[in-house]
Amino acid sequence: MAERTLQSRIEVKTKFSPPVAGVASFVLPGLGQMIVGQVYRGILLLLAFGSGLGIYVWRIAEIGRREVGFGAKFGKAIDLEPMFFILSLVVLVIVWLLIAYDAYRCVQQGKRGGSGVFLSILAMFFVLGWQISQIDVVRMVREAPDALPPLSKVLWPWKAAIEYDIEKELGDARILATEEGDIPVPNVPLADEPYLIATPTQGELSTQDPDTGELIPGTILTLVGGNFRPNIETAIWWKDPNGNEFQIRQEGQYVSAVTDDQGAFRIEVIMPYRLTPPSAVGPLYHDVFALQTREIGRPKASEALRLTVERMIETIFMGMMATFFGIILSIPVSFLAARNIMGGSRITMGIYFLTRTIMNIIRSIEPLIWALIAVVWVGLGPFAGIVALTIHSIAALTKLYSEAIEGIDPGPIEAVRATGANTLQTIMYGVIPQMISPFISFSIYRWDINVRMSTIIGLVGGGGIGFLLVQYIRLLDYRSAGIAVWFIAVTVAILDYVSAEIRARLI
Amino acid sequence: MIEIKNLSKTYADGTQALKDVSFTVEDGQFLVVIGLSGSGKSTLLRCINRLVEPTEGQIIWNGTDIAAAEIADLRKIRRSFGMIFQHFNLVKRSTVLTNVMAGRLGYVSTAKSIFHRFPKGDRDMAAAAIERLGLTDQTNKLARELSGGQQQRVGIARALMQEPQVILADEPVASLDPVLAHTILGYLEQLNQEDGMTVICSLHYLDLIQRYASHVIGLRDGRIVWQGDSAAIQTMTDKEFKDIYGEEAERVSAGRSATEADRG
Ligand SMILES: Nc1ncnc2c1ncn2[C@@H]1O[C@H](COP(=O)(O)OP(=O)(O)OP(=O)(O)O)[C@@H](O)[C@H]1O
Ligand SMILES: [Mg+2]
Repeated sequence: MAERTLQSRIEVKTKFSPPVAGVASFVLPGLGQMIVGQVYRGILLLLAFGSGLGIYVWRIAEIGRREVGFGAKFGKAIDLEPMFFILSLVVLVIVWLLIAYDAYRCVQQGKRGGSGVFLSILAMFFVLGWQISQIDVVRMVREAPDALPPLSKVLWPWKAAIEYDIEKELGDARILATEEGDIPVPNVPLADEPYLIATPTQGELSTQDPDTGELIPGTILTLVGGNFRPNIETAIWWKDPNGNEFQIRQEGQYVSAVTDDQGAFRIEVIMPYRLTPPSAVGPLYHDVFALQTREIGRPKASEALRLTVERMIETIFMGMMATFFGIILSIPVSFLAARNIMGGSRITMGIYFLTRTIMNIIRSIEPLIWALIAVVWVGLGPFAGIVALTIHSIAALTKLYSEAIEGIDPGPIEAVRATGANTLQTIMYGVIPQMISPFISFSIYRWDINVRMSTIIGLVGGGGIGFLLVQYIRLLDYRSAGIAVWFIAVTVAILDYVSAEIRARLI
Repeated sequence: MIEIKNLSKTYADGTQALKDVSFTVEDGQFLVVIGLSGSGKSTLLRCINRLVEPTEGQIIWNGTDIAAAEIADLRKIRRSFGMIFQHFNLVKRSTVLTNVMAGRLGYVSTAKSIFHRFPKGDRDMAAAAIERLGLTDQTNKLARELSGGQQQRVGIARALMQEPQVILADEPVASLDPVLAHTILGYLEQLNQEDGMTVICSLHYLDLIQRYASHVIGLRDGRIVWQGDSAAIQTMTDKEFKDIYGEEAERVSAGRSATEADRG
């Protein structure tokens, strides 16, 4: 009821009766409103309905783009996206009918119709928008599990943040894998070094049946090791004549032995599958070796962590430099963009409008776009980011500064002048104290924004941590990417807090 | 002695704020300028120290014509005219001390003042001025943290730093309540009577005018329409008052009034 009383009664003086208006709007949505004098409302409704209908037809044609003929396209659309097809149609019809009813009511009650018709138009655009923007909630839910592993790595990436020095214990034995050649002398136990004895020292590699593709196992080697560290898992590795090293697998598992209390072990392994190049001539010696690795010493920052920290520092400085240049360059420009300074004559007003317009245009272009241009201009790297951010900062700061200048109270300036102060003194005592805190406050605010921006400006090659982040994401190295994300988040949060604190104190 | 001769001011937009104004202020007078809003009071006061450039006429002070003074001399002349404003015109974000020290700028070199290096004598003087106006506790507060009455006292202290011979006060109490008005005008009276400064002050309330003025001039549309000394003010007739303030005006005291509501 409250809504009703708020609606003003309007005079609808018309020779048309309510049904006529209704029918008119039924024939052409909005026509009824127009002929009874509600021209703008009529046009608005017509445009809304027209564009809704147009988009609907366009989407149908788009869904059935492979089909020829309108009927076929429709058929295809019903087939592929029945929900969209039917729902949109229903909403369109409702809108149509409501527009007609709105025209009827306009005349009958002498009131502007309710807002129901506009709600239905909103619903219409919502349904159309849902389809156009390819919203797919079902898929989102269905494939959520796929997103979890990378997400959890990004959220908790710290495993990749530290690494240790590795101490290795190694025993190595030579194996001849061809008929010809000297059979290597088996190793003998050593006194105090790890050793590995393989028997026999000649054998056949596993091969693949050329017809069935099945693996034909090679010779079984018995490996005996000693003088290793006790009670530790010991991996068995293979090294082919080309120097390729790999850990031996059997039945999908890596082969490894666990040493006993004396640091000895015994294990049997099948000589692995290796493709021997047909061109290979002469004897081919392979190596089998047992390897114990152990993390020793204090944990160290991993390469990902080190790079992230380096890039983060680079990023913060990028933001700082861009802010610095932005401040220096925008101060003179901001005077040109301040109405109270430039209000003197036609010419200065002309400069004022020109400056404002240019700055507004520059500001409306996102720093990311500026970065694309800057990369072409000065090449990949942080400097491109600085150039892009500086350009955007100049425009943004000019606006803020010029507003601060416009907000200067002329009273104190007049008072200082009245004491006999000269121009420089008047500026020092009357002008600067009034501007300094908004200037500092805006500058810090800008620095905050610039650091935030420089974290993503790397995405397009502008240097900084964003550059690293895309690389990690492309390599699917989610843990390292996670480290970068964490650093960005923490830095931005700290900066946000600090800048808010400082600004709160200045105001 | 200040002799104003045929002073006229036409603003850039063509507004004639002062039309052929002539009068004389003897040393030691407490001259009150009255008149409706827009009658030219502020313009007149600002012409005297050339914050507003007069279009025509002379302002003879101690034998020199302020209106014709070179910019370089103007600095020295301005030092002798302390100015007090309706809205105090303090730098709100500066401290009381800095605001007061600003009054000394006409005396110190640019280089020193930029780095806030004032001579010891000047700093003592500031402390004395601040104490005289009862602001010692406020010395290091920001001006905006002060009440209106305190701010106006800072304004007076700033003017004192100029060691002025004349005080120009443009509606010094118009933004203050009546009790504070007496405090502030009391200080001006003290400067006038004890320190021998000439005071030129614009005021609105008849009871304040009668209480403080030694001489009065009435402005209307940029012309002087009434002139008299304190005796004449006490016996001012309604007719005379209406000549200055117009038909609709009534004699008012420092409460709310028709004229006050009129002021912009
Ligand atoms: N900078 C200016 N440019 C143009 N006209 C001005 C300017 N300053 C004042 N005026 C005009 O000059 C006339 C006198 O103004 P002035 O400020 O001297 O009046 P006033 O008596 O001080 O008024 P009030 O009591 O409101 O302060 C007014 O008509 C005003 O509009
Ligand atoms: Mg005034």
